[in-house]
Amino acid sequence: MALFGLGKGNREKPVRLFYASDIHGTEVLWRKFLNAAKSYDADVLVMGGDLTGKAVIPLVEKDDGYEVELFGERQWITGEEKVAELERQVRGKGMYPHRMSAAEVERVAALTEDEREEWFAEVMLDTFNQWLDLAGERLGGSEGHCFVMPGNDDPPGVAEAIERSGGVEACDGKLVEFDGYSMVSLGYSNPTPFDSPRELPEDEIHDRVSALADAAPDISRCVFNLHVPPYDSQLDTAPELDENLQVVMAGSEPKQIPVGSTAVRELIEEYQPLLALHGHVHESAGATRIGRTLCINPGSDYHTGRISGCLIALRGEDVKHQFING
Amino acid sequence: MSTDSGTAAPGGAGASPGLFTRKATGLVREAKTRDALFYNLLWSSVALTFAFYWLFFAFYPGANPYLGILIAAGLGLPGSFLYAMLTQIMPRTGGDYVFNSRALHPSIGFAGNFSYCFWLAIVIGVYTTYFAAYGIGAWGRMMTGFTGSTGWVDFGDWFSTEWGLFITGTVALLISAALFIRGGTRLFFKVQAVGFVVYVVGAFVLPAIVGLFQDQGGFVSSFNEYAANLGATDAVGALKDSAAEAGYASSGFDLEATIKSVSILWFIFGFIYSSNYFAGEIRVTRGTHLKSMPGAVLLAVTALLILIPSFLSVADYDFNGMLGFADPAAYGFVAGAPAYPEIMAIASSSPVFGTVIILGFALGLLLWLPQTLLLVSRSMFAWSFDRIMPEKLSYVEPRSRSPLVAIMVMLVLSIGSTAIYAFTDWFSAVSVLLGLSLTLLITSISGIALPFRQPAMVEGSPYDRKVLGIPLISLVGGLALLGFGAAIGIILWDEGSGASLSANPGKLQLALLVYVVAFAIYWVARAVRKSQGIDLSLSHRELPPE
Repeated sequence: MALFGLGKGNREKPVRLFYASDIHGTEVLWRKFLNAAKSYDADVLVMGGDLTGKAVIPLVEKDDGYEVELFGERQWITGEEKVAELERQVRGKGMYPHRMSAAEVERVAALTEDEREEWFAEVMLDTFNQWLDLAGERLGGSEGHCFVMPGNDDPPGVAEAIERSGGVEACDGKLVEFDGYSMVSLGYSNPTPFDSPRELPEDEIHDRVSALADAAPDISRCVFNLHVPPYDSQLDTAPELDENLQVVMAGSEPKQIPVGSTAVRELIEEYQPLLALHGHVHESAGATRIGRTLCINPGSDYHTGRISGCLIALRGEDVKHQFING
Repeated sequence: MSTDSGTAAPGGAGASPGLFTRKATGLVREAKTRDALFYNLLWSSVALTFAFYWLFFAFYPGANPYLGILIAAGLGLPGSFLYAMLTQIMPRTGGDYVFNSRALHPSIGFAGNFSYCFWLAIVIGVYTTYFAAYGIGAWGRMMTGFTGSTGWVDFGDWFSTEWGLFITGTVALLISAALFIRGGTRLFFKVQAVGFVVYVVGAFVLPAIVGLFQDQGGFVSSFNEYAANLGATDAVGALKDSAAEAGYASSGFDLEATIKSVSILWFIFGFIYSSNYFAGEIRVTRGTHLKSMPGAVLLAVTALLILIPSFLSVADYDFNGMLGFADPAAYGFVAGAPAYPEIMAIASSSPVFGTVIILGFALGLLLWLPQTLLLVSRSMFAWSFDRIMPEKLSYVEPRSRSPLVAIMVMLVLSIGSTAIYAFTDWFSAVSVLLGLSLTLLITSISGIALPFRQPAMVEGSPYDRKVLGIPLISLVGGLALLGFGAAIGIILWDEGSGASLSANPGKLQLALLVYVVAFAIYWVARAVRKSQGIDLSLSHRELPPE
């Protein structure tokens, strides 16, 4: 029985925490995340960033319907019911359906890159605010916690929207406490080749997190919720990209390199928190230990409609985890 | 991180639809299909099965190999499509464990996969025996046959001794594990690619060419000269006499024998889609799994249909039938009847060509060992990842990025299996074919059930289509069920399969007993995990969005 870790720790009821990240605008995953508290009997929900999507699908007004190009196939649809179903499918893929006139499409197409990023943010925030309203409806009045933070891909307005929301608790750049544990959070990443909206130099990541960790009441019962995984931890393996953002090939296969944060690695080695939760690198799901710290990246398969998460049982200084593909 | 880059505007003139994309990080999946294809073609032991087909041809008098191959491939082809589709939908390490646990129930997924791994842990030792007999042993005999020096045959025979078997097998297994520990799958796939080329050239291309340039008369003459160096005179005459004495009689086409012979060929077509077990490590592009699974079926059929006429032009049906009946010592082959690589080596009349043929064939047997370590260790990794097994089993060594503990566990089991094969006859009556095939049956049921049990998964896949109102994947699952079911029916019917209901009573019960044990392990693990605050039933249950 010791093989399974029995006998280590006391019999107090564990605190159940559900962690997920990188849902990238996929509404069905947000809905599943909110339902995790009830379905998994979780005391704490943590969403680790990258909530918003990457693409807007224009539904262009034409005659009495809409013309839309989806997955390379152009179609013309009429009737509110069919349009709504198509919008649901688009949202299910992590994209934003947006009803537009032909003139508006032309206007957006002509925008500069920066102007278009602003337009994206407006479209995304409109949907994201609806998500936060939904969280308020579902979780309002519950005794548990639902911590949400933006990741490196989320535009600036997302953080403010979370702060304003009554349904979820903002945790980015904060030290929060729950059920006898504390949590240090940071949704920024180290610099990426994409120049995404929320990136920081390594030394600034180190400074911000260490300032929070120093204030933690008991580091042995502290959780690090840092969007970017530690460098060279097996939780951060991704294909190398060249200056043109093309995948670098090694022979006939993509060259895989660690892309995590050296500062995050140093912070974990230095502070040795109980648990470290990460996202950011979708294809590098797994769990590993750095010293005593259990580090977890559940990965992301947001395009499949399944939420990749991790259900964690905290009991004293003992931590047990299981990956969930819900 | 991502390859999504830049901002795309809707294409075309005017206000045509399209999409606007952001600068953002994301998911990259790029692929190399070659490694998965090579894995499937090697692991399904096409050359070894071809050798066995002719070694056991005497037990299937009148069997037609062309028809037998087409039937076996036909039974396996829907399954290959199903596995490719399921792997595309669930590209995770663990193969059928992942499919069946998600589509049916975690306990069923575990039981099927545990059974599969259990039988592989048993059969892995026997590959050492094959390597000794048809690899090094055959090569030593060939060198004696060509040179007359008996030292070669003594050298080859050592590998068939108890210690020869154990030492050779253990060294091969240690080297296999070292491949993963030293360089992970990247190094293994490089070795596999080189080995595959040698295998194809030696076991297929060269024999086919030899068959083009050698006729039966020339072969008989070469065979007699070769056997003379082994101490037999007029070996072909002696072969005929011995076979006749044992009751051999030439036979015309027999449909029943042809169908029963499918139980041998099922070793290829029942297991030619095993790259699904390490799907989480394959970089996927469009069609990767379709090319590497059904594509492997088509390539194997093509290779066999080319090889058969070449082989038969040298050693015809009667010759192979007589080899099965005759006493090998009567025609100079004391250690046992020659398999097709040695026959084609003899037909080539060249020790150099013969060496390439037997080396290529033997390399296929050797590569099966690390391939099986890979398969079973990945299954163990998946059990551990889902917390059914201890956390240690999913420990990934940072440098090689290999599940080191799982590999070591399988290594120990494999060396144990080799020792049992070498020093005892405990496994002499074991037939793994039935136990392995039952898992296929479960997967086909998963295919049928998936669109109903996990609709969101199918909806987000390229297979979200219906044919005659039936979900495509259910239809393919149904066809796979028919194919796998028919193959299992043949195994249970064929007295030569080692698992027939009539000749081997108890084999079906044994296969089912393994399932009972696996279910017990799952439920015990579940109870233990529950006491730790982990509910295994949640791992694969879809969260309701509403």
